[in-house]
Amino acid sequence: MKVDRRQTLRRLGGFMAGAPLMTQQPRQGAPAARLAPVGELVNVPEFEAMAELVLSPDRFTTISGGHRGSFDRMTLRQRLMVYAMDLDLTTQLFGYDMFAPILVGPVGHQRELHADGELATARGASAAKTVMVASRQSSYPIDQIVADSSAPVWYQVYAEGDIGATRDDVAQAVDAGCSVLCVTVGVSSLQTPVRTDWRAVEQLGQAAGVPVVVKGIMSPNDAETALQHGAEGVVVSSHGGLVTGDGALPIDVLPAVADAVNGRVPVLVDGSFRRGTDILKGLALGATAVMLGRPPMWGLAAYGASGVQTVLELLQTDLARNMAMTGRPTIDMIDRELVRIDSR
Amino acid sequence: MGSIEQQWRRGFSRRQALCGLASFLAASPLLHAQRDPYPLGPHRRVLGFDEMRTAFDFEPVFHDNVPLAIYDYTAHGTDSEFTLYRNRDAFDWVELVGGGGVTPAEVDTSTELFGVRMDSPIMLAPTARQRDLHPDGELGMHRAATSAAMTMIVSNVSSFPFPQIAEAADGPLWFQRYATRDLEGNRQVLDMAQDAGCQTVVVTIDQQASYYERDLHDRNLGGAPRRARRRTPQNPPNPYRVGAGRLWYEWTLFDDLRPMIEVPMLAKGILTGEGARKCLEHGVDGIIVSNHGGRSLDYGPSTLEVLEEVVEAVSGRVPVLIDSGFRRGADVLKALALGAVAVCLGRASRWGLGAFGEPGARKVIEIINTELVHAMAAVGRTTIAAIDRSIVRTSFP
Repeated sequence: MKVDRRQTLRRLGGFMAGAPLMTQQPRQGAPAARLAPVGELVNVPEFEAMAELVLSPDRFTTISGGHRGSFDRMTLRQRLMVYAMDLDLTTQLFGYDMFAPILVGPVGHQRELHADGELATARGASAAKTVMVASRQSSYPIDQIVADSSAPVWYQVYAEGDIGATRDDVAQAVDAGCSVLCVTVGVSSLQTPVRTDWRAVEQLGQAAGVPVVVKGIMSPNDAETALQHGAEGVVVSSHGGLVTGDGALPIDVLPAVADAVNGRVPVLVDGSFRRGTDILKGLALGATAVMLGRPPMWGLAAYGASGVQTVLELLQTDLARNMAMTGRPTIDMIDRELVRIDSR
Repeated sequence: MGSIEQQWRRGFSRRQALCGLASFLAASPLLHAQRDPYPLGPHRRVLGFDEMRTAFDFEPVFHDNVPLAIYDYTAHGTDSEFTLYRNRDAFDWVELVGGGGVTPAEVDTSTELFGVRMDSPIMLAPTARQRDLHPDGELGMHRAATSAAMTMIVSNVSSFPFPQIAEAADGPLWFQRYATRDLEGNRQVLDMAQDAGCQTVVVTIDQQASYYERDLHDRNLGGAPRRARRRTPQNPPNPYRVGAGRLWYEWTLFDDLRPMIEVPMLAKGILTGEGARKCLEHGVDGIIVSNHGGRSLDYGPSTLEVLEEVVEAVSGRVPVLIDSGFRRGADVLKALALGAVAVCLGRASRWGLGAFGEPGARKVIEIINTELVHAMAAVGRTTIAAIDRSIVRTSFP
């Protein structure tokens, strides 16, 4: 029997109609055919598509993706008919009144994403009244970043390599005005897993003279160790998807870490937070605030400072709306009862 | 002509094959047959009235009849639409079991609610501005409901005034209301509806600050560039750009409305046992378990998975109704087995009206009611009263 092109097309048609790949997906965002004006984007995931338009594939890969599965297993239990005209998202962190419990997380080499790099991020974050964590691997000097910020800037380093040099940079950052030191553990600046040198963490903290938060905590034990070595805050984080062996994500281990810390220090969290409901879940499961890695970088790459600002403001509004609808109009009303986790 | 030319004339070209493939895919009944078939592509052929077999068949016809913005208003859920889809997924978590030995002819779907006999436990949910879907609007919907002997709940934001809808047919009407903060403003509207004969008043309490991304994405299909449409509210009462809307709602609202309502007062939008108990404390006579068809809170639960919790909290003191995601008779039966006394259809009725006007609305209701009859026969129940928990097995996550 001969197979001709016509038959092949017919069979291909039949095959595609039955293929599981054709499962319907809700329409998400504009077709990424052109860079839409920033005012047209209606949610954070759309910024990812815009970033893809302006970045080379190599660079885009470094800030693309995320893991949504855990958030999709968590539903929200509303408390109805709670007066919410006085929505208030402010929360205290290291003596600073945050406008909303959202921070811009540390990302290095931001000039690879946008010519203004960290300076644009600083301006965008400040415009959205948001704390920014500047990486030691920034493309711009820390004093310039701080100079462009009207909101607090934290400084982030890795607990690895030449501790003396790192300590000098920390001192310079604190001189420039950085108010908190964030020490990343468990991973190197090249994003490869390393064994944590807790002595280095302790030394950096002691030399800094500002509060130290340890980022990269993925278990209650890690948190306990961090506290023993002088941490005044922890960030539950798997470094943007460098997941632990059993596949747990930060949001999954957050409740256990928060229980272990038991209010002694603030617990922050990052990892695939893309919507206001995600942030609400993080807060309900014990976080004081949520750190964003990729989303502000999508805004930065596509639009510079205004992109960063818009991403942050969209999430602030999104969080506020969902706090209102779940009957938790202030941060201290957000409790663990708000989240129900599917058992499978 | 030689045989090659004949083959060219009669044969099947690559172009035709691709066209056929594209149209087949666009119109294919979707692998997730239980989900709303969206997004929809352009159709080669719109199905006719006599070809409608399930409620889902009406949606593509409706889609092709109206501008995208009108379609989207019916189709959308809030934010990521997680809850919109979870509403449908929930029916896969409930299985119908057992029964048999009954023929559809023996089944009687009639029931009673607030002392009124109804031919079916299926009702029409309150949905807005039905003239956008079809010139018949609420008038056609009421006539369709009447001819199927079903109760229609008329929305607060109907295209026709309530008295005019009431005059269009004889069937029972309920009236749904979003309270305004100026309480006296509610009195006038409630008087108007009660004077025109509404049998109950349904007070909707959800959807305080929802956000419809699909609406914001609408763009002119004629090729004009997309407009900037992200809206920011005027004078929000907070620095977080959340409009005032219904953020002022409190439980005392029911106490304030109660004296204005002489008929039974229902609360729509309850999703927890705690919420149901609060309703009873504030004089509510009936509860509609609803997440507004996935249009209120994103990442809220499906209504089916919380129904039993609400039913237990109410423990028979007032009727519990349900809506959000019902498309088939078997869906209705599952909710009845889990304790609901009636099920409201929102989107399904809009698809019917939008596809074929009044006859379409009637047909979609009849299809779902016939499916209910068949499903009841399949589990061996001849009356609504005989439907109990034993006909379902649940595996909610």
